[in-house]
Amino acid sequence: MRSHSPAVSCLFGFLVCAVGAFAASLPPDGSYRPLPAAPFDEVKGDDEAQKPQVMQRQRHLLEERYDLSDRAVPNVLMSGGRKTVQGGVRVKLPSGVTWDSLAKLSPDEIRERGVLPEGFFPLPHVKQATGGQVFPNEEIDEIQRQEQRNLRRFDVDFDLPDHFTPEFPAPIFLTTHPELGDVSRGQLVTIKNFYELFVGILTPVQLEGMRLLLTPFPQEEFNQTEDRKSADQSLGVTCLDCHANFHTNGAFHQTPDVRPQAARFRLDTVSLRGLFNQQIHGSKRSLRSVEDFSQFEQRTAYFNGDQMSAQRKGVHLPNRFDQVPMMAQMQNIIDFPPAPKLDPTGHLDPMKATPQELAGEQLFMGKGRCSSCHVPETAFMDNNMHDLQLERFYRIGQTRNGLVILPDGPIKTLTLRGIKDSPPYLHDGRLLTLADTVEFFNLVLGLKLSQPEKENLVAYLLTL
Amino acid sequence: MTRLPLLSLLAVSLCAYAAAAQSTDPAKPAPGNPAGSPSDTRETVPGVPAPGQANVPDRAFLRAAALGGRAEVQFGKLAETKAASEAVQNFARRMIHDHSAANDRLSSLGAHVNVALPPDQLDPDHKAIRARLDSESGANFDKEYVNTQIADHQATAQLFEYEIGSGQDAQLKAFASDELPVIFEHLQMARALSATLAAETMASASRSPN
Ligand code: HEC
Ligand code: HEC
Repeated sequence: MRSHSPAVSCLFGFLVCAVGAFAASLPPDGSYRPLPAAPFDEVKGDDEAQKPQVMQRQRHLLEERYDLSDRAVPNVLMSGGRKTVQGGVRVKLPSGVTWDSLAKLSPDEIRERGVLPEGFFPLPHVKQATGGQVFPNEEIDEIQRQEQRNLRRFDVDFDLPDHFTPEFPAPIFLTTHPELGDVSRGQLVTIKNFYELFVGILTPVQLEGMRLLLTPFPQEEFNQTEDRKSADQSLGVTCLDCHANFHTNGAFHQTPDVRPQAARFRLDTVSLRGLFNQQIHGSKRSLRSVEDFSQFEQRTAYFNGDQMSAQRKGVHLPNRFDQVPMMAQMQNIIDFPPAPKLDPTGHLDPMKATPQELAGEQLFMGKGRCSSCHVPETAFMDNNMHDLQLERFYRIGQTRNGLVILPDGPIKTLTLRGIKDSPPYLHDGRLLTLADTVEFFNLVLGLKLSQPEKENLVAYLLTL
Repeated sequence: MTRLPLLSLLAVSLCAYAAAAQSTDPAKPAPGNPAGSPSDTRETVPGVPAPGQANVPDRAFLRAAALGGRAEVQFGKLAETKAASEAVQNFARRMIHDHSAANDRLSSLGAHVNVALPPDQLDPDHKAIRARLDSESGANFDKEYVNTQIADHQATAQLFEYEIGSGQDAQLKAFASDELPVIFEHLQMARALSATLAAETMASASRSPN
């Protein structure tokens, strides 16, 4: 480990640019995951020593950005009836501006004055330089209890308070059995209990798909090599460790699609509900089938976009003609939660909705222009990616807790069905409540909504 | 743990620095992945590399940033006198100003991490660019200069991001974080200039008789 007098010059090859210019190319570990430069116990010792500081930094960042208090919307629960829904705008304003005064400024003015609220900026990973998957404590504890499998990292903990994560365990609704309602029986589905929970409800193909989705395989941070972040040689991670009960538990990671490391934005796990209606998968990758996504996810160690590193830790290559379709078929029968006030076309039933909800729907279709991307008839999606160009409002290239703030580029329109069940919001989870999302789009789309209009929109979103 | 603890006396004198490096302020450089720190890294307290303890990415960054920064100033001086368009001359002046300041800070950081900066001459990549710039004149020079500036600033932005994510020395990382928004500003200026130059070429071509 002492021979670090590298021939630095060999790191600089040539990069042929479109313009025919030569410019020094970057070191290979700008793209490829480097091998650890120190033995495991040294790295672990340092990681553990850094941990309090790492958690405090992120806590400061969150407190600077958001009001993290526990304030639920009265009389509203998530679909399983087990968790309240947090309310109110939680993004904090910079001093000297109000939401209304901000909405009157042009994007250029907001950028020049530096008054874009911090909570609208991309949210960093809790430890950006290391990155990787981080699970909420509820998931870690329950997997430990049921499977004695360790999902805890020694370098970081989950960063958001519990009241901003989805209900756990989440209810499961099947397209094949709408008459049954939630079939989870209030349990987290694991490799230990899935068979007894689902035999007689699922087909053999679906059961085998579910078994594969619940089987752990080595991952970038959870494996047997020295390049891991679990104290013990890990048994690995399953698909549903993040997509808990086919929904999401709020586990996060970083995008596989961007390098170098400092520029990789955070990804909040998406729900697999309603997957059957989606034509494109992943907020940025736009993979065209659930089969592709399922197979690829395993190939590159869940989200690192690095087939080389995955290979070293042990990849699982599910058979494309046999196993992958079964995994896909299982995922494709997960339904959205019931929305009793919506009619078959995705519009509110005036007999059931309140006047405020109906007023919200009017805004959604009209002044708010939400329905131009979130189309009610197609599960509030358009199967397109859109560039919201938030960078109009800020100076790019700033660093926040190790994350370089860059334009997001085109992102897939996320569905709004069952949206109250899946905080935090946006692809990276930077917004904590639906009221935050309304303020966000009010600014990004230049809508200039009034306070009552914003409240009506939130009331509407809660019915979806 | 074989990482060498600093002599406690030294540690005391570095207390103020260690506090900064250990900052819980998310605007300050974030801790790196310790897997990227070699075993012989000295630490002020466990998990915090002592000031000036550079890892491989730090060194690679330092060298490339120094070479690139000097080339920027040299090309800027050339373009300041040789460019045909006033906008390009102004851009060149801005490059001289900004990159000179950054180069000074980088030199002191080189001393801080005890890494000798490469000799003050162009590396082969930038030599090739220089040769092309020398051979062009007038509007063609302007185009060549601006286009190489775009490519150079693209690579530089990625290089600085690389340091922020993979580097170990807090001061080098702070330098990269401070400069990155400026590099993007330069890139945006160069892209805008390139578009303007292209539009001017189009306009003059349509004005000419054939
Ligand atoms: C570390 C947590 C994690 C694990 C483990 C994980 N996923 Fe995901 N999954 C995510 C995240 C985050 C996204 C969103 C990706 C994006 O936005 O690009 C996602 C997206 C998806 C999507 C696309 C959904 C959509 O709406 O477009 C599918 C399908 C999927 N995952 C299936 C799987 C399968 C199959 C596995 C196991 C092989 C798996 N996931 C393992 C976190 C995880
Ligand atoms: C130009 C298309 C477009 C319009 C118009 C639009 N959205 Fe979106 N919406 C998106 C995209 C794209 C995302 C994902 C953005 C991201 O993750 O960064 C999104 C995400 C959301 C989310 C978060 C979903 C989740 O699962 O995290 C909510 C809530 C939302 N939009 C509500 C609205 C509302 C309310 C309006 C109208 C005021 C609106 N949107 C208008 C494209 C649009």
